[in-house]
Amino acid sequence: MSNSGVASMNARSALKRRRARMANLLPYLLSMPALLACIGILVPFGTAVFYSLERYNLAFPSTRGFIWFANYISLFSDGSFWRTILVSMTYTVLTVGLELLLGLGIALLLWRRSLVTNLLSVALILPLMVAPAIASLMWKLMTNANFGILSYFVSLLGVHDFKWASAPQSAMFTVVLVDMWVYTPFISILLLAGLRGLPRQPFEAAELDGVPGSFVFFRIMLPMLLPYILTAGLFRMLDSIQQFDIIYSMTQGGPGDTLMVFQVQAYTQAFIFTNIGRASAILMVLWIITYALSNVFVKNWLRLRERARGQA
Amino acid sequence: MNGKSVLRAVALTLIGLFFLFPLFWVVLMSFMTNADILRNPPSPFFTPTLHNYTALVSGNLGTNVGTQKIDYMLNLFNSTVLSGFSVILSLILGVPAAYAFARYKFRLGEDMAFTLLSFRFAPPLLVLLPLLMYFQSIGLYDTYFGLVWVYQLITLPLVLWIVRGYFEDVSEDIELAYRLDGHSWLRTFFRISIPLARPGIAAAALLSFIFAWNNFIFALILGSSGVQPVTVGALAFVTASGIEYGQIAAALVFSIMPTLVLAVFTQRYLVEGLSLGAIKG
Amino acid sequence: MAFLEITGLSKSFKDHKVINDLSIGIEKGEFLAVFGPSGCGKTVFLRLIAGMMPADSGEIDIDGQSVVDANPEDRDIGMAFQNYALYPHMTAFDNIASPLRSRHVTAAEVDARVKETARMLRIDHVLDHLPKALSQGQKQRTALARSLVGRPSVVLLDDPLRNVDAKIRYEMRFELPRVLRRYESTVIYVTQDYKEAMALGDRVAVLVDGAFGQAAAPHEIYDSPSTIRIARLFGDPPINLLPVRPITGAAGTEMSVAGSTVRLPADRAALSGRECMFGIRSENVVVSLEPNNGIPMTLDAITPVNNRLVMLLGGNEGTELFASCPQGGPMDRLRGRHNAWITLDLAHAHFFDNGNGARI
Repeated sequence: MSNSGVASMNARSALKRRRARMANLLPYLLSMPALLACIGILVPFGTAVFYSLERYNLAFPSTRGFIWFANYISLFSDGSFWRTILVSMTYTVLTVGLELLLGLGIALLLWRRSLVTNLLSVALILPLMVAPAIASLMWKLMTNANFGILSYFVSLLGVHDFKWASAPQSAMFTVVLVDMWVYTPFISILLLAGLRGLPRQPFEAAELDGVPGSFVFFRIMLPMLLPYILTAGLFRMLDSIQQFDIIYSMTQGGPGDTLMVFQVQAYTQAFIFTNIGRASAILMVLWIITYALSNVFVKNWLRLRERARGQA
Repeated sequence: MNGKSVLRAVALTLIGLFFLFPLFWVVLMSFMTNADILRNPPSPFFTPTLHNYTALVSGNLGTNVGTQKIDYMLNLFNSTVLSGFSVILSLILGVPAAYAFARYKFRLGEDMAFTLLSFRFAPPLLVLLPLLMYFQSIGLYDTYFGLVWVYQLITLPLVLWIVRGYFEDVSEDIELAYRLDGHSWLRTFFRISIPLARPGIAAAALLSFIFAWNNFIFALILGSSGVQPVTVGALAFVTASGIEYGQIAAALVFSIMPTLVLAVFTQRYLVEGLSLGAIKG
Repeated sequence: MAFLEITGLSKSFKDHKVINDLSIGIEKGEFLAVFGPSGCGKTVFLRLIAGMMPADSGEIDIDGQSVVDANPEDRDIGMAFQNYALYPHMTAFDNIASPLRSRHVTAAEVDARVKETARMLRIDHVLDHLPKALSQGQKQRTALARSLVGRPSVVLLDDPLRNVDAKIRYEMRFELPRVLRRYESTVIYVTQDYKEAMALGDRVAVLVDGAFGQAAAPHEIYDSPSTIRIARLFGDPPINLLPVRPITGAAGTEMSVAGSTVRLPADRAALSGRECMFGIRSENVVVSLEPNNGIPMTLDAITPVNNRLVMLLGGNEGTELFASCPQGGPMDRLRGRHNAWITLDLAHAHFFDNGNGARI
């Protein structure tokens, strides 16, 4: 090969290498903001872990120091933290359970397309679009002892002086009601989409064979809807266990500590008792729970995605 | 009319009532005078008044002991600024990134997607407490700039999640055809890829705006009266002493009007974005 | 160097070498038909030339310029895709105008050239339609127009007639060469249909095992396939292949077919003693119902296919042969089994090495 041939071949491979490197850079360049967002999450997260291992109280700055797991130990030996866990679990079970039931019922009712169901489908989105904090305030107005319209309705049914969120016995009931008002539409939208995507043949075949409705429901429809139900349920579970907006706006965790769920408890520790270390420990415990749950969710959801893609 | 369809009609009515009545009632209350609200038993017949709204807009609110100056309009403005800029920033940052995730399978990309996804379900307060400390030390506390960046934690994952799926559906052959026609990669991205993913981008923008508008805890912790959006402002409003209830109702109506109006006009996009975002991802 | 020179092109996906050291030179204005069984890598080949993916190694030169590292937009290539790949949000006019608009052509010239190309492809009356309002045939013609209007150096056609219904496919068999000749384009046409490849191509290149096993004029590939595999890919019904061992003796070179002895011409003497594959196409197997000194066999089945008659014959030692002849002869009405005598037209005999399948 001539000299110029060799030279041009070298030039070519140099150009090729440079081009290949630049092409590889493009995806990283494009996704830089996502990378920044990740850093933006991971750095404070690391700091929070750090805080949870410290004695850190803004009111006593001189006592700040590393105490390893003392915060956690003190949490788990404190009755009030167990109460927090109990309240949070109760809230989660009630909201998710009731919303799944009601949401499924609504989806089934709206399955058949008609003018009424179409209108209702649109109307049902509205509560979902209201900020939960504001929804809580709306219900607070409606349940006001003096002029709340709901207090009035309830008194018509013979129950007088129902204290709604002001009394420990009925506070949970009230906030669960608000949560249901805001979030049931989410479940019914999801399940309705699932229902509408189901294949027709099994149901037509069952009808031809004269299969009773309950069998169709429990043995055919529910199993086919299961991925959607699980997705919706897990989504809500993850939200409910860390609920803040609704409860804080309604009672800031009261009356007393009736509604002290995880994040409200942590908020109180951080901003009223200025105990950053303890608040961070509570949040770390909550994070571990949500991390475990969301892993289950992500694995399940990836599987559902493949199945939906196959069916579609 | 058989029993089944009667039951169905009753059920549908009850459902419609449960979900729509609170909205209806709060709107009604906003047009009532304090006297009408406090009347016992309550009556659906009353003379409507615009007084509550004019008071809110002017900032002079009547209480039972005189007037109070509260600038709720500032809260509305703050919400608009925060949500609007957050969405714009997320689109600028997120759409190219979503394209990268859709077209290229690279290790770091999968790791980033996993991190963003798993932290989407993490408790916000966990990250907000340290952020508060950092913000106070670098002077970003109670600023639009600081909050718009932190709002990215809500809006950016949403944009990435939804728009990636739509880019995956854009045929690579069409992009190649446009490049063979002589257009550069950048031109192809703007003239072909983005227009063909427009429904997804619109759905993501809409949903992000709504989620940002409805956010409460971020602004509660990292902001103060300067940048308070309506969610935090409403709580302060309600707990302020002696405000007329009609005016509280009017404030709440102002707070939810934008998202409700958006929802009604774009409900098709919303439903698609919500359900497909959850399933198609 | 040829106008389009490809040397040593290779591409692997996950340890699977799809394109393996492929080389070919294509002359300016040549129509090269690339044919291969499905999954052989034809699409990958086109995409490497178009620049959609980088090659692992090799060179691609167009008119002396190396384009193997260039971006797709810098390669001066036009391409028509199997699924058209039209821009759904632009009218047919804008679709076709796209290659011109990237090159700062005046609006007036764009208008003139688009309309001229559209007229030639008979879609000038639907230029203002969006792709979703076009029929399959119109979409395909729009894609074709778009690939030609910029008069690129090389035009790549990825099985454009595959997704089009039979009638239009038939029409396009005539129109396509006519249009391409008008543009004096250098064309690479990829197809899964060997008849299409043979009908359209100046040369046919057969893609096997990631490279071109043979690239030659259609009749040459048909009459002198370089390997058994290539011989099998062309011809309906498939070529008859029989293992034989010719022996040269006092009487000349002979081999045994279905128990009978067949005399080979003198130029085949070199095959003596060699185990090899004997190939003969069905149209070179002459069937006679009257006894002659051909190979005795039984005619087991006879079917009209297109406008030929295909016959299946069975003989001694389990040998089976396909024979075919034009319709309209004495065999048309034949049914049932018959005794037949076979003569082989040895002018069209093929011999292949048993080991590597290469032509002898």
